[in-house]
Amino acid sequence: MLATGLLFLSSGLFLGWSLGANDAANVFGSAVGSRMLRFSTAALLCSVFVILGAVSAGAGASAGLGQLGAVNALAGSFTTALAAALTVAGMTRAGLPVSSTQAVVGAIVGWNWFSGAATDLSQLSRIVATWVLCPLLAGLAAAGLHLAGACLLQRSRLHLLRLDAVLRLGLILAGVFGSYSLGANNIGNVMGVFVPAAPFPAVSLPGGLLLSGMQQLFLLGGLAIAIGVCTQSRPVMLTVGHSLMPLSPFGALVVVLAQGLVLFLFSSEGLADALAGLGLPPIPLVPVSSSQALIGAVVGVALRQGRRGLRQVRWGMLARIASGWLSTPLLAAVLGYVLLFVVQNVFGQVVVALPG
Amino acid sequence: MHHPQALFAHTRALELRIDELLDMVAEGGIQFERGMVLLLERGQTPEAEEKLQQLIQLKERCNQLRRRVVDTLYSEMLIPEFRGDVLRLLSHLYGLLDALKNAYQDCLIAYAGVLNRRESLADVQDLVAVVVQSVQAAVQGARAFFRNPEAVRDHINQIRIHEAEADGITVRLKTGLFASARPLEQKLLGRDALALIDGLADLAEEISDELSILAIKRAL
Repeated sequence: MLATGLLFLSSGLFLGWSLGANDAANVFGSAVGSRMLRFSTAALLCSVFVILGAVSAGAGASAGLGQLGAVNALAGSFTTALAAALTVAGMTRAGLPVSSTQAVVGAIVGWNWFSGAATDLSQLSRIVATWVLCPLLAGLAAAGLHLAGACLLQRSRLHLLRLDAVLRLGLILAGVFGSYSLGANNIGNVMGVFVPAAPFPAVSLPGGLLLSGMQQLFLLGGLAIAIGVCTQSRPVMLTVGHSLMPLSPFGALVVVLAQGLVLFLFSSEGLADALAGLGLPPIPLVPVSSSQALIGAVVGVALRQGRRGLRQVRWGMLARIASGWLSTPLLAAVLGYVLLFVVQNVFGQVVVALPG
Repeated sequence: MHHPQALFAHTRALELRIDELLDMVAEGGIQFERGMVLLLERGQTPEAEEKLQQLIQLKERCNQLRRRVVDTLYSEMLIPEFRGDVLRLLSHLYGLLDALKNAYQDCLIAYAGVLNRRESLADVQDLVAVVVQSVQAAVQGARAFFRNPEAVRDHINQIRIHEAEADGITVRLKTGLFASARPLEQKLLGRDALALIDGLADLAEEISDELSILAIKRAL
């Protein structure tokens, strides 16, 4: 039973591995790329905090995705995650910017379409709105942090060496925070579709701790991300630093921090409750793309640097990302529909559990 | 729980060493000027020779300090992007102190007789003062680069003004020298001595060029 469960989880674990290989570079790429931090240290910190974020705070964003469609059979979850993973792999191979979040959303809509379940359009529109909101908020946060940080640093007149030490420490702390937020937010992409059909019973741990079935799923997903980080993220980390525009160490710190904040914003149930308590519009808790948050943050830093900064941004990349907002979920939905049909009719697996 | 001061204790120690290194270059400028004044006014006296010893010792201490700073910077400090820049700047500042020592040594050994002629004494003293001002401005510019990059521009401007002034005085002195009735070997020796002293301001200007680039790179 456990072996079958793990086999069905493999597509989600593959998504997790791929996320670790690519997206960890968004949080520790600047520090490792500029050789401020050894890769082994970055990989260890990133792995630990991704797992912590996933297990302790992954429920919020994952539940947001679940509202779009509750994939209620393990084989259905496997196929949905496989459709998302293949979409991501295919688009990456074609050199197109792709977000695993958008692929997963498309694949879930594909499952709804196949199973005849209604897609919650208001939830779908909220999720789609976050795709625009995420880079926008990251850009605003980066511009604000850059402005405040630059004023503070200029006023403090730190010695270059002290500034260097502060930035180095800041990059490590921001990377840790970014990793935690990445785990909390993106675990929904990796394991969200498996939650309604979670194959694990709750387990009691020494010390009175109870690990629910969902948390065990997230732990597994977190481990898959960590393996991706440790095995495959090094070359990505070494090249990510200058891929969009050249950043100063302070700019890199701001970008990582802004990205972490936005991912945290879209994952934290406590923060969402606090904002709602203040009468502010509720933040939808859904997985968002860390790469697109990063790109939004880089553009935010560029805006702060005026015309010189804006000239350095590769604007064509942004246009391609926007085109991915439509093409990625469409492709994943169609692929999901086809794969569900094949798995159900060729392999005879139950991809949709009938009510009752 | 680490106190923030303890957290940056290594950095603080290195900051102090760099400050000490800059102090030594500034002191080298003062010793050079004092030595040249003695040399020009009184000739090769024991006091003038003692100044050379002071400059040699200062240079050796500065070299040792520079090596310690380089070792620490390489082993545990600095974002790599800054590391090369800082090491180059410190190396050029040490080079300036070395050049001050060498220039004074040559003036003491070879040029004392040609520099302290009564008719050009005031201009040579003026040249030494302007050159030393350019050296001090280079040290202040380097200090500003570490603590207040926006102020670097002011110091760069001062270095350039002093360097141009030194060139003007040198040209005037050389013209006067070659228009005089002195023997050719004295003229050639005098020309070399003036070029040596004026060259110190050129070195300071090279540091100013480097500082202007570094200040842009340090912009947040």
